[in-house]
Amino acid sequence: MTGVRAILGPLFDDWLSSPISINNSEPNFRLVDIGRYIARRLLLAVFVLLGVLVITFVISHSFGDPIYAWLGKSAALHPNLVKLYVAKYHLDAPIYTQFYYYVVGLLQGNLGVSPSRGFTPVITVIEQTLPYTLQIAFFAIIMTLVMGVAFGILASFYHKKPLDAGIRGFYLAGYSSPPFFVGLVLLILLVYFLHWLPSGGAATITIQAPHPITGIPMLDSLIEGNFAYLQSALIHVILPSLTLAVTTFGVVTRILRSSVLDVMHSNFIRTARAKGVDERTVFLSHGLRNGLIPVVTVSSLVVTYLLTGTVFVENIFAYPGMGQYVVQALLASDYPGILATTLIFASLIVLTNLSADILYVVVDPQIRYS
Amino acid sequence: MTDKDSPPPTRPARKSAGRLGFITGGVRIRRNKEMVIGGAIILVFVIVALAVEVAALLHIQITPYNPIDPVGPPLAAPSLKYLFGTDQLGRDVFSRIITATPNGFSIGFAVVGIALLVGISVGCFAGFRGGLFDEALMRVTDIFFAIPALILAIAIVARLGPGIMTMTFALMVVWWPAYARLSRGETLKVAHQNYIEAAKTSGFGTFKIVIRHVIPNIFLTLVVYATLDLGTVVLVYSGLSYLGLSIPPPAPDWGYMVSNYQDYLISAPWLPVIPGLTIALAVVGFSVFGDGFRDSLEESSA
Repeated sequence: MTGVRAILGPLFDDWLSSPISINNSEPNFRLVDIGRYIARRLLLAVFVLLGVLVITFVISHSFGDPIYAWLGKSAALHPNLVKLYVAKYHLDAPIYTQFYYYVVGLLQGNLGVSPSRGFTPVITVIEQTLPYTLQIAFFAIIMTLVMGVAFGILASFYHKKPLDAGIRGFYLAGYSSPPFFVGLVLLILLVYFLHWLPSGGAATITIQAPHPITGIPMLDSLIEGNFAYLQSALIHVILPSLTLAVTTFGVVTRILRSSVLDVMHSNFIRTARAKGVDERTVFLSHGLRNGLIPVVTVSSLVVTYLLTGTVFVENIFAYPGMGQYVVQALLASDYPGILATTLIFASLIVLTNLSADILYVVVDPQIRYS
Repeated sequence: MTDKDSPPPTRPARKSAGRLGFITGGVRIRRNKEMVIGGAIILVFVIVALAVEVAALLHIQITPYNPIDPVGPPLAAPSLKYLFGTDQLGRDVFSRIITATPNGFSIGFAVVGIALLVGISVGCFAGFRGGLFDEALMRVTDIFFAIPALILAIAIVARLGPGIMTMTFALMVVWWPAYARLSRGETLKVAHQNYIEAAKTSGFGTFKIVIRHVIPNIFLTLVVYATLDLGTVVLVYSGLSYLGLSIPPPAPDWGYMVSNYQDYLISAPWLPVIPGLTIALAVVGFSVFGDGFRDSLEESSA
């Protein structure tokens, strides 16, 4: 896997090697080992989440006076409010007691109230905004994979030809550009110039929104049979997710190209060619099939990029998700809001890492037990 | 060299090193097209950044106009007089772009430099000593990798207040774990080489072995990663600046210019596009150079 390693950069050595820590050379490698492996990954995920809690706690409670972060300028005007907050959040207690209350509060879904949203409980704001971010993320992941895999196949098939170089230039430009810049360029091109897509929002406002069933508007409208809303929502989600896909697909294309080229140089490909299998079949059913596996390893990177990007695209395209919320919270010094979004984003990434680790054992034939 | 009893065969036989041999650990780097293109882009930006810094020190104005005061009609289109046009207040956009060049670059070099320093010290000792310290480092970096850098930086900057110092601090906090992890991985690769064993048998302490034998042999990999990473820092910095967390408004900054000008997307599309393109170009420079750097390293090690 030298090529894969080279492309991913040495940083990912550890990430590549961690899921393969099972010793598959043992003859009695069985399901039990996979069970144990998954259990270990789960434990690790819980540990990481706890660590994330510690980090957010340290930032919120010990970088200066937390009261001023939560109340902002109103702290100086209302000394009684300050006393109330000190009592409510146990700010006069020792630091470990505060951490205990912090974690217990989180487990009870108590993330504080959000000044930037008229002092609504943060958990309510999250319930309102997270579904929209999930919608964008879902379509962005699909677009990233489609673009990434398609360009990856082309680049590896036309290796060292002009098309390969062109694709390299495209993805280098894509992931070197800030999402807000790509978003603005697409906005000018697709909205103001070609008039193909709406400029922003989650759906046309005049269309009746679906009643919340799952909480995710698109899914709800599908269940309800509200196809007018679904159509509008699908059209509105294209631009933000396309922006994210353009800035992210390079990660997939790059690893796919190098891993396919790597596989194409291996012995079993030479055997297949020697047996007279035509080049197309060799490429598709041997090269590509095996070359796709390392794509799983970059999934956490892809998800991190996409979530980071939502902060910008949701603001440019007025999409009412968590990315928009975190910027509103930022502008209003609404610290509970910032903290909550940090926690949710981190949890989403931990979950993806966990699923990627598990998926990796499932898809990699080298780890599969006989 | 003061220690006259230092053992001779502690390093592998080296290929003849170029002028940069002291950094590259003796590996010869062959230039390729990417390195030349990327390097040229970086060089232009660095020269402009240095010129701006020097001019600021000497109180000379090197930009065609004053970047902070209105100098012409508002929203003038790009022309020979105003190369990139003027903004809504009639300020010359070209002068503002030039003046803002050092911001992202100086933060990039500062953050990556500190991350290299902290990362190498922590990572090498963890990788070399192993045990509890190593395990602790791995778990801590796991945690940092779970939080997107931009989001964590937002949380820190929002807490400490915007400004260039707090932002640099926030980025440093976020950035070192990747380097620690990388140094650790690379250290593990060299830790069982013969020359390390020889040094151990000669009775050298961990500190001396790490400084004299481990670090020189893993440094090149880290430098390659750092060049690619400089672009990432510039990108994240521009994002934070776009959100208004960097230098306060009258002074120009690329990211903030994009967000400040995006209201004029229809009437003057070049206003937000030009600073955005500048950021992209700077980052492309680092990406292309880093890519080529790594390719040439792969070739020479193969």
